[in-house]
Amino acid sequence: MNVPIIDPLQGDFPEIIEDFLQYGSMKCIAFNSCGTLLAAGCSDGNCIIWDFETRGISRKLRDSATISPITSVCWSKHGHRLLVSATDKSLTLWDVKKCEKISRITLQQTALHARLDPGALEPTICLACPLSSAPLLVDISNGSSTSLPVSVSQEGNNYTVATNPRKFSDGSTPFTPTAATFDWSGEVICVGNSKGEILIVGTKTSKVYAIIPVPGGAVIKDIVFSRSGLYVLTNSNDRVIRLFENLLPHHNTINELETIDSSNNNTNNNVEEYDIVDKLKTNGTKCMKYLREFQDVVTKIQWKTPCFSGDDEWILGASASKGEHKLYIWERLGHLVKILEGPKEAIIDLVWHPERPIVVSVSVTGTAYVWAKDYVENWSAFAPDFKELEENEEYIEKEDEFDINPREDEKEKEEVIDEDAEVDIDNSEDTSILKASNGSYGELRYLAAVPSPEQSEQQDKYPASPIKLEESNNSASPFDMDVVANGHASSPMEGSEFFFAEEDGGTSLKRKRKPSAKGMEMQAEKDKKPVIKNPKSSSLSKISKPRTKYEFDSDQDDEFTDGFVF
Amino acid sequence: MGDASSGASAGAAPPYRPYRLVRTVSPHSRAVSCVKFSPPDGRLLASASLDKTIAVLCSSTLATLATLRGHSEGISDIAFSSDASYLASASDDCTVRLWVLKSLPSPPNSNSSKSRGSSEDRCVRTLRGHASYVFCVNFNAQSNLLVSGSFDCTIRMWDVVSGRCIRDIKAHDAPVTALHFVRDASMIVSASHDGSCKVWDAATGLCLKTLIEPGKSPVAVSFAKFSPNGKFVLVATLDDTLRLCNLANGKSLKVYTGHMNRVYCITSTFSVTNGKYIVSGSEDNCVYIWDLQGKNVLQKLEGHNDTVISVSCHPTLNKIASAGLNNDRTIKIWVQDA
Repeated sequence: MNVPIIDPLQGDFPEIIEDFLQYGSMKCIAFNSCGTLLAAGCSDGNCIIWDFETRGISRKLRDSATISPITSVCWSKHGHRLLVSATDKSLTLWDVKKCEKISRITLQQTALHARLDPGALEPTICLACPLSSAPLLVDISNGSSTSLPVSVSQEGNNYTVATNPRKFSDGSTPFTPTAATFDWSGEVICVGNSKGEILIVGTKTSKVYAIIPVPGGAVIKDIVFSRSGLYVLTNSNDRVIRLFENLLPHHNTINELETIDSSNNNTNNNVEEYDIVDKLKTNGTKCMKYLREFQDVVTKIQWKTPCFSGDDEWILGASASKGEHKLYIWERLGHLVKILEGPKEAIIDLVWHPERPIVVSVSVTGTAYVWAKDYVENWSAFAPDFKELEENEEYIEKEDEFDINPREDEKEKEEVIDEDAEVDIDNSEDTSILKASNGSYGELRYLAAVPSPEQSEQQDKYPASPIKLEESNNSASPFDMDVVANGHASSPMEGSEFFFAEEDGGTSLKRKRKPSAKGMEMQAEKDKKPVIKNPKSSSLSKISKPRTKYEFDSDQDDEFTDGFVF
Repeated sequence: MGDASSGASAGAAPPYRPYRLVRTVSPHSRAVSCVKFSPPDGRLLASASLDKTIAVLCSSTLATLATLRGHSEGISDIAFSSDASYLASASDDCTVRLWVLKSLPSPPNSNSSKSRGSSEDRCVRTLRGHASYVFCVNFNAQSNLLVSGSFDCTIRMWDVVSGRCIRDIKAHDAPVTALHFVRDASMIVSASHDGSCKVWDAATGLCLKTLIEPGKSPVAVSFAKFSPNGKFVLVATLDDTLRLCNLANGKSLKVYTGHMNRVYCITSTFSVTNGKYIVSGSEDNCVYIWDLQGKNVLQKLEGHNDTVISVSCHPTLNKIASAGLNNDRTIKIWVQDA
């Protein structure tokens, strides 16, 4: 809603660490679709939901059965459910609002990534990418699972759709995890294999519709769709991030794929030994279009968890090197715009806020850093009749600059506002947009804030977690201003007369100001810094400002003379 | 004024039906400072007073459901969370308190002694940090943030869950008199005695805009509030004037006058349940109702014996609650005849 009055020159991409979140040791994070909540999986099996507005803990999802580190967290479409995978090979589905476990299953292997079907409102189908076998489609409600094909090969006239990458002696290590992700609608899955190919697989049919060879042919580590679903990123072992354009439609993706497939069949009907792999690759050209690559040609670093910004404009990659916290931001068109460097701790997970220019990176120490724009105070915001200029402008005197009469007329004209014009205070045209863009019916944007009671807080808050966690949480952020009980509750201002004077007995503006002025003066003295900037507003500021300024000046002078003497 | 015609033209809808006094209650022993209907359904009516208590009333029977005690000084402002399960209060004891309103006794069985007994437990949190009187308080729509303005000229934002002060903005050069979140909680408007109204980005705490009546020496702003759609700000200044300002360009579109407001921070509000009105208290002991479009006074509600400091419109019914200062100490309920 504040978009129309926000300076359009501000925004875009983050620049500095604004805040950090700490609770236990976080391993992986995920924003809900509107960026109001941030889920974080911890090394002790807990899952924390941060209220990203207040940067406080909103909920804790704790399952007594899971005490192993969490490998991934994933929100459902409208944020009602959360899928959590852990190193104890479990997948747990949570109802976020009720804080209840919906179901929990154990797989054969630990899932490094687990994704919920983005097409369903109450998904039970999820995609798990285990450490060393083909990606699995798992129905978490009954535990049934299907392995997805990871490779198509041609042996004479037979072709095989393999689910086990170990079969292939093409140099890939058997323990290479296979990347896989749902597309925007959840109708198809993109599987990245060790041969450097993206396979387009139908979610329901497990049928391979198309193959897109990735330039370089190196093992694909990650496949990421942008928020709009229009673009796809791959991160390969050859230290290059590649950008593709998704040509498939958002809806009826499968039908479109069938059409592509059958049209190819028709044209090649007469060729009996038509190479199935070639055919799938032809299909692939109609599914995704290779655009460009992103890499650091100098350092040639490996990348970790590339992602898009919420508006698809920026691409973010993290250095996978140990002991460095480096974020690279590129324009989608290919230019590197920024390298952000954080504390000397390796990055283990990274997300871009879906709606704001904010990035959250998790370091190996388990702390989540919030990167945001270094907002510059827009001084013209404080004075509506001032305009900020980008650079100096030469003032050209108008012809009638010092003529009295015509100027005045003009002025009057400017100020005439049609006071009888109808105003609409009720309806807002942007509501519909707001709702549509968030796909919004039943979207879980917020969790009800439940104030934790004051006294019992220390004892009750984290009964099961070690004391260390408590401490770390209490010192949640650098912006955490301690709520100082500064004794003003029993301040000298107390006394019923004051309140009579203040509210009952004709609270004149002056009267109201006086006690507050005293209070402010006291505060100003305590803090030794001027509370008030504008000297013309009240009598107090006239006293306090010059004084503090004088103190400052004299300090300066002392130092200065000291320097001269030596 | 020539406004009657435009008022009539705006009323292709039925003509104005006057409000009349239906009930008067006096739950407080001193001046009432604030009265508010609870969102979203107006089930509750809460009032704050200089007698250091908050009365929570059933809005239909006006029976006292709870009396919230705990502040050591008078209370200036109260705000309901959006589901009315919590209430925040701003007090001259420099604190903001959060009260839980769940499981209030049902009106017929309400036992005054019982509700008093439980009142102490209803305070879930005391937010300390302001260096002077806390004068205004409000929740955002999600009710995970609380914002408070004080005589120490700062605005503080609080995390409702933990009670942590998230942000401390040196906002104005004089006491902050009113704060209001826009509908989607992305912005906050603040009013101050320094004569300005400022709009803040709720997420970053940056000032986005300052609304000042240009070309005039600044007059203390006593109240400001976003319109329901968030495009306009209703600004009250201590020169007997209410203005409807366009947020986009900061220009005032409509000016409402006729009432008296020189001294107090009188609250005003939009009435949208039947026709569009501006409703405000006044220092001539009346409640004024203006036609939003025509700017003409539609009605003056007489009955209070002192300045009407606060008014609140029921969110769904054509009902207004008003509260008077020390010579009056009552809350009056006005309804529009069917």
